[in-house]
Amino acid sequence: MIPLQHFLVLSGVLFSLGIYGVLARRHAVLILMSVELMLQAVNINMIAFAVYFDPEAFVGLIFAIFIITIAAAEVGLALAIVLRIFRNRATANVDEVNIMKW
Amino acid sequence: MELGMEQAWLLPAITGGTFAFLLLFGKYLPRGGDFLAVGAGVATFVVFLFILTDLLDVPRESLPIGKGWDWVSFEGLEIRLGFEVDEITIVMLAVVTFVGSLIVLYSTGYMRGDPRYGWFFTVLMLFITSMLTLVLADNLLLLYAAWEGVGICSFLLIGFWHERRSAAEAAKKAFITTRIGDVGLLIGIILFWRATGTFDISEIIEAAEHGEGLLGDGTYLTLATLLLFAGAAGKSAQFPLHVWLPDAMEGPTPVSALIHAATMVVAGVYLVSRMMPVFAAADPIALDVVTALGFITVFISAAIGLVQTDIKRVVAYSTINSLGLMFIALGSLSVTAAMLYLLTHGFFKALLFMASGSVIHATEEQEVSKLGGLIKKMPITGWTFAIGALAMAGLAPLSGYWAKDEILVALEHEQNIILLALASFSVFITAIYMGRIFYLAFLGEPRDHHVHDRAHESPPVMTMPLVVLTALTLVSGFIVFSGVGEALGFDGGFGEFVYFEEPEVFHFDWIIGIGSLIAVIAGLAAVPYFWGGTGERAHAVAQQFPWAYKLVKNKFYMDEIYQVFLDRVVFVLSGILAWFDRNVVNDTGVDGSAMITRLAGYRAKFVQTGQLPNYAFAIAFGVIMLAVIAFAVEF
Repeated sequence: MIPLQHFLVLSGVLFSLGIYGVLARRHAVLILMSVELMLQAVNINMIAFAVYFDPEAFVGLIFAIFIITIAAAEVGLALAIVLRIFRNRATANVDEVNIMKW
Repeated sequence: MELGMEQAWLLPAITGGTFAFLLLFGKYLPRGGDFLAVGAGVATFVVFLFILTDLLDVPRESLPIGKGWDWVSFEGLEIRLGFEVDEITIVMLAVVTFVGSLIVLYSTGYMRGDPRYGWFFTVLMLFITSMLTLVLADNLLLLYAAWEGVGICSFLLIGFWHERRSAAEAAKKAFITTRIGDVGLLIGIILFWRATGTFDISEIIEAAEHGEGLLGDGTYLTLATLLLFAGAAGKSAQFPLHVWLPDAMEGPTPVSALIHAATMVVAGVYLVSRMMPVFAAADPIALDVVTALGFITVFISAAIGLVQTDIKRVVAYSTINSLGLMFIALGSLSVTAAMLYLLTHGFFKALLFMASGSVIHATEEQEVSKLGGLIKKMPITGWTFAIGALAMAGLAPLSGYWAKDEILVALEHEQNIILLALASFSVFITAIYMGRIFYLAFLGEPRDHHVHDRAHESPPVMTMPLVVLTALTLVSGFIVFSGVGEALGFDGGFGEFVYFEEPEVFHFDWIIGIGSLIAVIAGLAAVPYFWGGTGERAHAVAQQFPWAYKLVKNKFYMDEIYQVFLDRVVFVLSGILAWFDRNVVNDTGVDGSAMITRLAGYRAKFVQTGQLPNYAFAIAFGVIMLAVIAFAVEF
C-alpha cells in the first residue's frame, strides 16, 4: 500500500501550485483554475485520511463529494462574474479590474 | 364595581385621561374643552366622597389601603405604581379635589377671552393629576416623579403669560429654587433605598422605627431625614428657599389659589406629615431644624407682609407665613395641628386668592395704593375677602382660629414657653397685615377714581366658588370638636382622626385660646389706628426706623444675596466648568479622538489597492503566519 505521506506530499505540491497560480496569474480564468487546483489538493487530503484512518466510515468521502459540488457551484458563479466583467470592460485581467479601492 | 380605597387610582386616572384628551383634541372642542375639565374636577370630588365613606368603614389599623401594580422589576430594584389611602392622605385629597374643582370652575370666568384658554385647562388637568399621584403614591419614587410633575406644571402656569418678561423670569426662578430642594429630596430617597432596599413608604417607616440596618445608624437616618426635609422646604417655600413664592404671583390668580396656596406648596407639609415616624426616629436635631426654619420663615414673611403694597403679594406672604406655622406644628410632632391648618388654610387661602383675583379681574389693578373703598362696588368679593382675612388672622370662631389654637397647644405640650410666646406674637403680626390689606383695598376712600369707576362685581361663576369657600371657612374649624366629627361620621374630632402616635381629644385651653384671641383683636384694632386716613401714623413709624423699614421693604435683601452668590460663585464656577467642557472635554476629548480616527482612516485607506493579487497575497500570507504561530505554540 502506498504510504499516507505520499498522498500528503502530492496534496501539498498541488496546493502550493494552486497558491502560486492565484498569486502570479493575472487572467481571471487562470486564477479560477488555480483555485480549483487548491480545492482538489484538499480533496486528495480528505480521501487519503479517510481511507487510512477509518476505511469503514464514509465521512471523508462524503466530504470530498461536498467539496466537488461546492467547487462546481463556485466556478459557475465566478465564471458568470468574469463574463460580465469581460462584457463591460473588454478584459479579464484582474490588474485592470481595480475600481474596488479607496 | 364597588368604589372605595382600592379604586383610589381612579382619581389621577380621571384627570390624567382628561389631560390627554384635552391635549390631543382640545382645540377642536368648543370653549377649549373647559367643560371636560370642570367635569373631571367634579368627578374626582365624587370619587373622593366614596373613598372617604369607605375609609370610615374600615378599622384604623388596616390603613393604609390601596392597590398597586409592578412597574419596573429588576434584581434588587422594585418600582411600583401603587396608590394608597390613609387618614393624612384623605385630608389632602379633600383639599385637592374640592378646592381643585372650585378653582377649575372659577377659572372658566377668570380666564375668559385668553388666547390660550384651552391650554390653561390642559395644564391645570396635568397639575391635578400630578398632585393626586403625589398624594396617593405608596412609594417614594412615584411620589418624587409626581413631585417633579407638579413642579413642571407650576413652572408652566406661573409662566402662562410668558410674553411678559417678569412672568417668564418668575417661572424660571420658581422652578430652579424648588429644584435645589428637590435634589436634596432625591438624595434622601436614594439614601433610604440604599438602607432598606425599598421605596415603599410603609416599609421605610417600619425600618426607621425599628432601626433596621443602616437606618439604625443615627447619623445616617438624620441625614436622610434632613435631605427629605430639604425637598419639603423647597416646595413649601421655607426659608431660605422661600423667595420663589411671592414671584410666582405673576401667574394667573386661579393658579396662585390652587398651586401656590391650597395644594402644591403644602406638599412639603404633607411629605413631612407622612414621614413623621421617620422624623421622630431620627435625631431630635431634625425636628429642631424643622421648627427653627418654620419660625424664621414665619417672622420674615410676616415682616415683609406688613410693608407690601401688592394685594396678591401680601396674600402670598401670608401663605409663606402659614406654611411656616405648619412646619412649627410638625416640629412639635403635631401632625394633627399641621393637617388641620393645612385643611382650613386650603379653604381660606384659596378664598383670599380668588377674592383678590376677583378684584384684579374687575379693576385690572393689584396695587393697594390705587384701590380702596371697593366694598361698596364689589360686596360679595369684599365680604368674602374679609372673612378669609379674618380666618387667616385667626379670629374666633373662624376656621383659622381653631387651627392656630391647635398649633399653639402643640407648642405648649413641648413645654417651650419662648416658642409659644414667639408664635403668639406672629399671630399678632398676621392680624395686623391681614387687617391692613383688607382695610387698604376695600375700606376707606377710593384712591384712584379711574380704577374705582371701572370696578364691578365679578360674574356668578367667579363669586359662587367664593361663597362656597366662605361657608367652609366659617365652619370647617369646628371639626376639632368630637361632637361635630361624630355627626359627620368620624370617630371623633379631628385630633382623634389624624394624629401621630396618640389620638388627642380636643380640649380648649383657656389661657392660650383667650390669649391668641386678644393678640388677634389687638392686631386688628391697630390697623385703623396706623393706616386710617392717609396712613400718616404708619409713615411716621417707618420714618422712625428707616433702616428697619428699608430692610423689610427690600425683603431682607434675600434676592440680592442670592444674586451676589450667583454672580460671584455660581457663574464663576460654571464659567470654569464651561471652559473645561469646551476645551478639554469637547475640543480635546471628543473632537480630538474623532480627529485621530479620521487621520488613521485616511492613512489606512491606501491599504485597499483594489488589486486582486494583493488581497490574495494577504490571505495566503495570513494563513501561513497562522500556521507558523500554531506550529510555534504546539512545539
